[in-house]
Amino acid sequence: MEILVCVKRVPDTAENEIEINSDGNDIERDDLVYSVNEWDNYAVEEAIQIVDKVGGSVTVVTVGDDESEEVLRREMAMGAEKGILLSDDAFEGSDGKGIATALKAAVEKGSYDLIFTGAQADDGAAQVGGMLAAMLDYPYASLVNLIEPGDGKLKVGREIEGGNQEINEIELPCVLSIQTGINEPRYVGIRGIRKVASVEIPTLGASDLGLDAGSVGEGAAKVRRVDYFMPEMGEGAEMLEGSTEEIIDKLIELLKAKGGLK
Amino acid sequence: MAQQIADRRDVDFVLHEQLNVAELSKHEKYAEFNKKTVDLIVSEARNLAVKEILPTRKEGDDEGVKFENGEVIVPECFRKPFELLREGEWTAMPEDPEWGGQGMPRAVTMAAAEYFNGANYAFMMYSGLTHGAGKLVEAFGTDEQKKLYLKKLFTSEWGGTMLLTEPEAGSDVGALTTKAVKNDDGTYSITGQKIFISSGDHDLVENILHPVLARIEGAPAGTKGISLFAVPKYRVNPDGSIGEFNDVKCVGIEEKMGIHGNATCTMSLGEKGECLGTLLGDENKGMRAMFLMMNEARLLVGMQGYSCATASYINSVNYAKERLQGRNLLKMLDKDAPAVPIIQHPDVRRMLLTMKVYVEGIRSLLYYVGWLEDKADTVDDEAEKDKCHGLIDILIPIAKGYVTDRAFDVCSLGMQVYGGYGYIKEYPQEQLLRDCRITMIYEGANGIQSMDLLGRKLGMKKGKLVMDLMGEIMVAISAGKVDEKTKAFAEKVEQALNKLGEVAMHLGKTAMSEKILDAFAFSYPFMEVCGDVVMAWMLLWRANVAAGAIEKAKKKDVAFYDGQLKSAQFFCNTILPTTLGKMNAILATDSAIMDIDEASFNG
Repeated sequence: MEILVCVKRVPDTAENEIEINSDGNDIERDDLVYSVNEWDNYAVEEAIQIVDKVGGSVTVVTVGDDESEEVLRREMAMGAEKGILLSDDAFEGSDGKGIATALKAAVEKGSYDLIFTGAQADDGAAQVGGMLAAMLDYPYASLVNLIEPGDGKLKVGREIEGGNQEINEIELPCVLSIQTGINEPRYVGIRGIRKVASVEIPTLGASDLGLDAGSVGEGAAKVRRVDYFMPEMGEGAEMLEGSTEEIIDKLIELLKAKGGLK
Repeated sequence: MAQQIADRRDVDFVLHEQLNVAELSKHEKYAEFNKKTVDLIVSEARNLAVKEILPTRKEGDDEGVKFENGEVIVPECFRKPFELLREGEWTAMPEDPEWGGQGMPRAVTMAAAEYFNGANYAFMMYSGLTHGAGKLVEAFGTDEQKKLYLKKLFTSEWGGTMLLTEPEAGSDVGALTTKAVKNDDGTYSITGQKIFISSGDHDLVENILHPVLARIEGAPAGTKGISLFAVPKYRVNPDGSIGEFNDVKCVGIEEKMGIHGNATCTMSLGEKGECLGTLLGDENKGMRAMFLMMNEARLLVGMQGYSCATASYINSVNYAKERLQGRNLLKMLDKDAPAVPIIQHPDVRRMLLTMKVYVEGIRSLLYYVGWLEDKADTVDDEAEKDKCHGLIDILIPIAKGYVTDRAFDVCSLGMQVYGGYGYIKEYPQEQLLRDCRITMIYEGANGIQSMDLLGRKLGMKKGKLVMDLMGEIMVAISAGKVDEKTKAFAEKVEQALNKLGEVAMHLGKTAMSEKILDAFAFSYPFMEVCGDVVMAWMLLWRANVAAGAIEKAKKKDVAFYDGQLKSAQFFCNTILPTTLGKMNAILATDSAIMDIDEASFNG
């Protein structure tokens, strides 16, 4: 099974205090600490586990600048065999569709049975996986939390409302967006890091991918971010006092009054 | 969310901007370790430390080690991170890959170790002691011993310890009484009791190798008659499989002030006369073996103490920025003024800046000592190699003795910044203080470190070590003098260094005179002023780097580099003056300490 996993370099929310820039249209990105989008680690782990079971190889791909190479290398240290960096000035300012366009071109340059994305990115809109599938005209399942490989098809579990799970059968090739919790991503050890220390990661630009520069980047973007703001702090919490019974009564009263209970 | 354990920006600063560790990759030995690889290693060490080890710090402390039916049981939460540490092969980072190591530069190892130990060093002691035992086997073992033990130790598949201390032989190792009697097959039957054995027995591994110091029957008294033996918990068959029990067992564990997650064992050897060991190294050369390993062990203890300090500091900064308490001093009369984060209060800032300068200075010092090893390994010139080893030798008592003293001070301030919350168990500060305290005692109490500095290191190679150290400090002073931003600091450090030269000369001479006891009564203050000057050096070195980088720096880096200049300013102007005062006291070498009659110590 040849698996391509699309990964993204995102600001590490555990490490940064996010500030909005002076124009109010983005966050301050200059000094952020970046890491691999958390969902993507689950996707790469799942891909490695499938390949361990049925053979094949895992390739990781990302759209970004030179610095994005670090996330590819990290995922390769985890166990992905190959990495591809899609990088070009023409990609700058792409919306989700622009990113999916670049990824589609990368998919078509290879021969993959299965394409994973994370279910969403820390700084994203959970759109690329679905768009990529549509552009490729591949079947798609989102929020995938179980995969059982079969012959030419997969059994796929999806997380649905209320903590329930639905099981689908899906034909290959397909695109799946992977939900956290599907596995326990492995930690990266030193041996893995040493192994990828001097591996060359190929970089492909728009022309290498056969893309018209006008189909990606800021010019092609149909979604534009217009504002960023911190929500205003609401009123402080109301502490209910009294015995447990009294508190319960007051809580029910409040829930009824505010429409939470009918 | 704020950072935990250690400040990554500062870790990167020391590795890449102060020491330029990626330069090491130009040498074949470290070719793999370019900047990207180093960064990835530090990131992944931190990732494992924060996600898997840090959560065990408090839990391991609360649960502690249990001793039941002769078995030592570690806190349950240690099992998973121990396996992850092994799987990631983090247990012998700088060692030879042939034996399960990763061949990593020691300077980089320091950064990974800071995250791991800062997360929970009581936990890290299981693999840490094992690594130390492995080093002994590597240095002194026969091919057979290496084949049986070395890879198992470096990969922490088996455990390792160091059986040195006995009830009547602590600082005075020469007094030990554990006995070895040679058998016809060349093995030795060992009998005796050892105390205070860290990780002496536990259930994380299936076998444990104890390097044991013992006296062969008929050997001379004192340190000259001590030999080192390899004594496994379970005997090991020639094919490497585990054989029968070797009559070495834990008979009790200590209740301690801190590091509750680590087993401190009393070990009994040969109660049934069936404890067999093989000689590790030559007969009666056990102390020599110990000395060869001592630098590394002492550096590790410096790292342990320091790791508590770095964690305590980062917690304190985070807390002081969030904790609202009291009005800003300038608005004291305004009853409606809001409570402000306590980082605005002058005395809290004093505490934080004091913590900052020591944490930064010590980080640089410990990584630098690691880097000196790397440099020694990668230069061809023998004189240069010797110089690196000499610098390590003279810095070790400071990297252990001075560092753990200051680390404890930092942890105490870290508690103080939290106020009453610092003293209660709900917050991490009190545990860091407790855990830190033992590092001032074990692996050569800090008083012993100061005697080592004055009595051995100062006069070694006719004073060449000290001269080389002063030469290195002068490099930073000269560099600092050419930039207006650092000139004043460089001059202050130079003044302190010159005076330290005078103090060293005076105390060295006094130690050779009839006033030798008076000299040694000041060995500790001498270690302190040496340490202060080394801190000043490291902070000046940092400031020099920052001064060169600040103008072209990005926004957040401007604050970081300015923080380096402020650290140097604070240390030079607020702490160094007291160092000069302490030097005056040493130069006076007042005799009260030795003059006072023992009967006069109490009524």
